[in-house]
Amino acid sequence: MTVSAANAKSLFMRLPGQVKGFLRNSLAGYILESKNLKDSLIYAKYWALIWAVILKFVIRLLFKRGPIGIIRVLVGYPWILHLLRVTGLMRRLSRGRSGLYLKSICMTIYTIAFTLAENLEDVFYHPDLLIINEEMVPPDIARAMGLKVWLLEAMGILLPILAAQSDLKYIDEAENAGINPDACSLPKATVGMVLKGHMPKGIAMVSSNMPCDAGMASYSLIHREHGTPIYRLDVPSNFYNERADKLFADDLKGMIAWLEEHTPGRMDWDRLKEICEGRNRMLELELELWDMIRMKPAPLAAEAVFLSHMWHFNLFAGYKLSIKHFESLVAMARKNLTAGIPATKNERYRAVLWNPPFPHFIDIFNKSERAYGVTLINDSMTYHHHAPIDTSTPDTMLRGLANTIMQGPMVRHTRGPAENYLDDIFRMYRQFNLDMVWVANHVGCKSGQAMNGILREKCRGMKIPLLILDYDLLDPRIVSQDGMMNQVEFFMENVMKAQRLDQ
Amino acid sequence: MTTKSKTMRVFEGLLESPLNSLVEQASADGRIPIGYSCSFVPEALLMADRLFPVRLRAPGIAGTEIADNYLSNFICSYARSLLEFAMDDRFDLIQGWVFVPSCAHMQRLYDNLEYLKKPAFSHILDVPRKVNEVTTVWLAEELRMLADRLSSHFGVDMSDGSLMKAISEWNSFADVIQSIGDLRKRPDPPITGTEFHALLMTSLASPKDLILPTILDFRTEIEKRDGIKNYRARLLMVGGHLHDPEFIHVIESQGGLVVADRLCTGFIPGLKPIEMSGDPIRTLAEHSFKKTLCPRMMEDFDRRLTTIIETAKEYNVDGVVIEIIKFCDLWGIDSMPLVSALRKEGIPVLKLEREYRMGSEGQLRTRVQAFIESMGK
Repeated sequence: MTVSAANAKSLFMRLPGQVKGFLRNSLAGYILESKNLKDSLIYAKYWALIWAVILKFVIRLLFKRGPIGIIRVLVGYPWILHLLRVTGLMRRLSRGRSGLYLKSICMTIYTIAFTLAENLEDVFYHPDLLIINEEMVPPDIARAMGLKVWLLEAMGILLPILAAQSDLKYIDEAENAGINPDACSLPKATVGMVLKGHMPKGIAMVSSNMPCDAGMASYSLIHREHGTPIYRLDVPSNFYNERADKLFADDLKGMIAWLEEHTPGRMDWDRLKEICEGRNRMLELELELWDMIRMKPAPLAAEAVFLSHMWHFNLFAGYKLSIKHFESLVAMARKNLTAGIPATKNERYRAVLWNPPFPHFIDIFNKSERAYGVTLINDSMTYHHHAPIDTSTPDTMLRGLANTIMQGPMVRHTRGPAENYLDDIFRMYRQFNLDMVWVANHVGCKSGQAMNGILREKCRGMKIPLLILDYDLLDPRIVSQDGMMNQVEFFMENVMKAQRLDQ
Repeated sequence: MTTKSKTMRVFEGLLESPLNSLVEQASADGRIPIGYSCSFVPEALLMADRLFPVRLRAPGIAGTEIADNYLSNFICSYARSLLEFAMDDRFDLIQGWVFVPSCAHMQRLYDNLEYLKKPAFSHILDVPRKVNEVTTVWLAEELRMLADRLSSHFGVDMSDGSLMKAISEWNSFADVIQSIGDLRKRPDPPITGTEFHALLMTSLASPKDLILPTILDFRTEIEKRDGIKNYRARLLMVGGHLHDPEFIHVIESQGGLVVADRLCTGFIPGLKPIEMSGDPIRTLAEHSFKKTLCPRMMEDFDRRLTTIIETAKEYNVDGVVIEIIKFCDLWGIDSMPLVSALRKEGIPVLKLEREYRMGSEGQLRTRVQAFIESMGK
């Protein structure tokens, strides 16, 4: 048999399984599996809304750029095809969820799709206003200047959430070009995308020393590859003091002056005030949500809480849709709380996730929820506690934004004394009435790895069950999904003595 | 190559332990050793009054079992080795520790040390990652805070006069080392890279005034030497911490002659004199930024590259060896554009990843041999 015949046969043999999988993950599959009319309607509504967003995006692209333009986009940004899997993500995360909990998760995914489509339109239709921001640099100021912003690392995180292996070719590209393989896979994936030319270049770039050495160092290379001018923000190591507030606020002022010099953007303080007020409103709503999820059982949990924060606060703070999204989450949580409806029917263990979540295995909490009743209440990336921004003058706004950035998740946890890292964990443990701490032990995160010894001893002393779950942020070849699930099972069965709910 | 001299044997003897006999002697005389681990800490500041600086090293470290437990084995082996030695009381004479959160590893070393074995005096110097007027003022304030804490804790004189005296002593000392280092520019240098590195490391690990006579003897000795002719290629070493001269010895055993180094523990550009005018603290802050070429400095890539290229020309170098301690993200990632930029300039580059302690000598020999051959030497 020739190779091509063998390949064809293998393809043919796999076909039934693939069709079955496709049907199971389709809208029809959901409706058949759910057997609940109300849930099916919720799911169908968001399924239709997401496809409407995608169709609208494609039609607009077709009209604005023509068929050749679409081909150019597909060649220039081939990862865009992975975005079509967004309803597949909704399907994975909706398993076992029902009622308002299901709705909150579907709505979160829909808002991600909606805002992402808008952001992609910024990239395609406004290249003359587009600046590239490093992931920890909030786009608020640049947006107030009338600029469009693309967060360079955002796709590195989002793509594996949609398709587990989608970053691998970029990670390999960076390693083959000489990056140290033990570095965090996020800068590796980002560098890989840049080297392959799969990222927009923009007219200028703003990076920083956040959150880690690898992320910061990668911008030497990215800057050389892109050749666009760059401004680098520098967050001090010890930042809980007036001196640091002033230093960093001055740095932000420097950034504004620099952007005015290198881009067509001009500072509009009224617009910044509007954005900051929007951010404050989101913060207020999120605190209200946290107050409700403190209750046992929680009225909402998991992706509705952490994906919402990760996406809307980091990329679209102050957006009308983002504010509306949080208003809806709060309303849903309140409705569930009033009616005494828990998010998870079998909420047995309340958990916090420390360090970045598991993009290539984003449904690990869905699986753990169904298997053991583990409910993810909150996580370190969401736990962004800071005072609201004082919008009375430009100076107070910049001070407020400086504080917001410096006290951001990961930024706060990788800087200053160990207490910045440890105290938050124990504060959350008490604040959210938790039963366990999960540490996402990303192999490339040296700062987190070096805290495990102390954390282990402190948790032992306080009798807090601790799961240190080894994995790599974006690369499932380091620890597979099965390997990760095994760690959960060992922990739940041996440490927590939990009984499986799904057997 | 040259045979080992008497002074060289003295240097080697002093490098065998983290705190050598000269540190013991100075401590016995009532002087105060302050340990530090990063080149951003100005040595001159730690030379004021009864203080003297000691670069923290872990020579002969056999394993890092305790440190691995806390820091994990994904952390740079230098940080792990220091924690292991600290846990083993190998730094018992050190009375104060000064750290810089120069990278995540150093920050966490400080955190773990504070948790496991809190020193009586420890200080973290918050060095900004870019250089401008505002950050220079910030660093000067940081140095002032350190000086004030040292003064109140140890009762030492950290006045401007005392600091000026310390700066002057440091300058004189650096001048002697620089004069020896400059001999390496000759076509037939009288000193090997191994010898020079042993000299440098000893000077970093000992009270300057006590080691100076031996260094002066060594200078007299090498001035009488014939130059080294039997080498195949002149090499420039680039990288972070390199403490063990044996690493350079293995490179030189294959015919390479290390004639210049841009290392955290090297002499380019670290031994340039400090300005003797104006506010000494401000001068030290400016000097700290100038003398250190670390990839943690976000805006300094071009300066690092230019310095390496200029050094290669000045010392008539055939190739560059970049050495990186495994798990160092800063050097690991920065070296990627560095290697390609140097190759674009026509400079052959060998990038070596290593552990803090000497190991895998066979592998190292093979790679250096292949590198020298690839240069047609």
